[in-house]
Amino acid sequence: MADVNPLAPDLEVVIDPEIGGPPTAPIGGIPPTAGRPAARLGRLGPTLVVILCAMFFIFPLLSLARYSLQNVPTVRLGWSTLFDKWSLKGLTKAFDDPHFGPTLRLSLKLALGTVLLTLALLLPTAIWVHMRLPRMRPVIEFITVLPYVIPAIAMVAGIVVVKPHARWFLNSDYALIPFYVILALPFTYRSIDAGLRSIDLKTLVDASRSLGAGWGTTLRRAVVPNLRTSIISSAFLTTAVVLGEFTIASTLLKNTLPTFQRTFVGVNPQAGFGLNFLALVVTTMLFALLTLLTRKRGAKGTKPDAAVTNAMAYSALSQQSKGI
Amino acid sequence: MGGRTERAAPSASPKARRSWAWLGVLPFFAFLVLFLIIPAVSVFTEALKNKDGSFGFDAMREAFRGQNLDAFWFSVRFSAGAAAVGVLVGTLLAYAAATAKRPKWLRSLVTSFSGVAANLGGLPLAFAFISLLGRQGVLTKVLDYFGWHLYAGDFNLGQVPGLITVYSYFNIPLMVLITLPAIDGLKVAWREAAANLGGSSFVYWRRVGLPVLAPSLLGGFLLLFANSFSAYATAAIMTDNSKIVSLRLGFFLGGDINVGQDAIGYALAAWMIIIMAVAMALYWVLRKRAERWQT
Repeated sequence: MADVNPLAPDLEVVIDPEIGGPPTAPIGGIPPTAGRPAARLGRLGPTLVVILCAMFFIFPLLSLARYSLQNVPTVRLGWSTLFDKWSLKGLTKAFDDPHFGPTLRLSLKLALGTVLLTLALLLPTAIWVHMRLPRMRPVIEFITVLPYVIPAIAMVAGIVVVKPHARWFLNSDYALIPFYVILALPFTYRSIDAGLRSIDLKTLVDASRSLGAGWGTTLRRAVVPNLRTSIISSAFLTTAVVLGEFTIASTLLKNTLPTFQRTFVGVNPQAGFGLNFLALVVTTMLFALLTLLTRKRGAKGTKPDAAVTNAMAYSALSQQSKGI
Repeated sequence: MGGRTERAAPSASPKARRSWAWLGVLPFFAFLVLFLIIPAVSVFTEALKNKDGSFGFDAMREAFRGQNLDAFWFSVRFSAGAAAVGVLVGTLLAYAAATAKRPKWLRSLVTSFSGVAANLGGLPLAFAFISLLGRQGVLTKVLDYFGWHLYAGDFNLGQVPGLITVYSYFNIPLMVLITLPAIDGLKVAWREAAANLGGSSFVYWRRVGLPVLAPSLLGGFLLLFANSFSAYATAAIMTDNSKIVSLRLGFFLGGDINVGQDAIGYALAAWMIIIMAVAMALYWVLRKRAERWQT
């Protein structure tokens, strides 16, 4: 590779009949190398990496899907039974369980409550900080990553300590909501903060106010519509976290959907795995919808919004360390 | 006297406004104190109590000794392993996606999928891997057929290799998300400059590429370590291995281990928070360094 003239590949790209057109700017800061046999061979490694990773990521999903949809125990699985007993029953059987409805409803209410409380708390605070206390921003940014430092299970330890002093509150199922707001804080705050940074808030507010709008109208008709992406991604990611949160709910003995997902596997393994598969599909659809709703249209077609991808990385950290 | 008052007067009005501005963030801070600071601090106040209730480090010491120390050592080991695998594979995958020209949608797909996969975890992931690599898993059976008896050795989803495999499912995509911007930050001009000066591809990576990426890679390692170290639900479904610190703490809180030794449970939680704090603090320092090249 040492003798490759870094300027030459550009010429070859033009010659390459498969690509055609003018040489495009290289992606990822690496000179284009397609065309030469040696360079093609050089792509073999990356291609292999992508294929192996794809297999690693798809196999567990396929095997969970098979377990849910095919009522054949793995012991008896073989070429002769490969096409036996496939049905959707494994997915829907959980709906007949009397505990399914209440746990699902509780989880949905918790998700809604968490989203609303998050927005009610963060939108005014973040806007206020941007308008009046810009010097506070690093402080708040630091505080909002603190939840990462405290693993969910350690958080539960703290709640257990406090419990005797606030039994009236913590005995309620809805007591989970404020703690879920805290769990989601690192990515919800960051997302809204990024949204505010990308607009000229001061001008927007001044313009609206000078045209005679009150604070309420200014927020509702000028600021919030400009934060659409931030609000949508916060809401979706928070919903995904709450619908999957297991650690806190199970240690505090709250009957949410994820705790049911676990106990139901004990009742009926196949339908239990089916329910978990369904949960996985629904979460994935939430993320797909989020990516679709927020994607950016550029010159070269649509691509995922970088800010949303960033928020997903932050929410991923919340998911694991808070142990959904 | 009079002159001094006059000089103080102009600065008084912005000061007064600032003191009002503080009130705007008061509800937010009150919320944080109630639901984040008080629980976190009370873990430490309980952990720092001796048996007779006085202040002391007995529980903290006990929580870092014997079986508890074994648990911390086990958790640090598998978390570091999972982080190393995640950094290595995640960086390779990000590099492959960033430099691929065909298919055009590969990069978008890898980014979007990483966003989803990094967020998958907990119950569905644990059950997916049980159905794949559990004692009755499909892949276990296929490997058996080819003569590789996975469970003949001490393989178990709750032991180090199993945990690393499962945690890679969310660690690798997280690393892709973290490291893509860093890889995009490698400028073509640097590679051209290296080549013009007679440097081979190896020399370029050794002298330019890796040093620039190093803070990102190290930072990613710390983040994935913290991610694996504090994960609970996935492990709780797959195993009851009390050597995993987060599970051990769960058993303490559920009253399964040593009822009456509450303080040790809280001390475990306190040590977990300390280890997480160190990892995350180092991460933030490294991130600041990494951002220098990403503009």
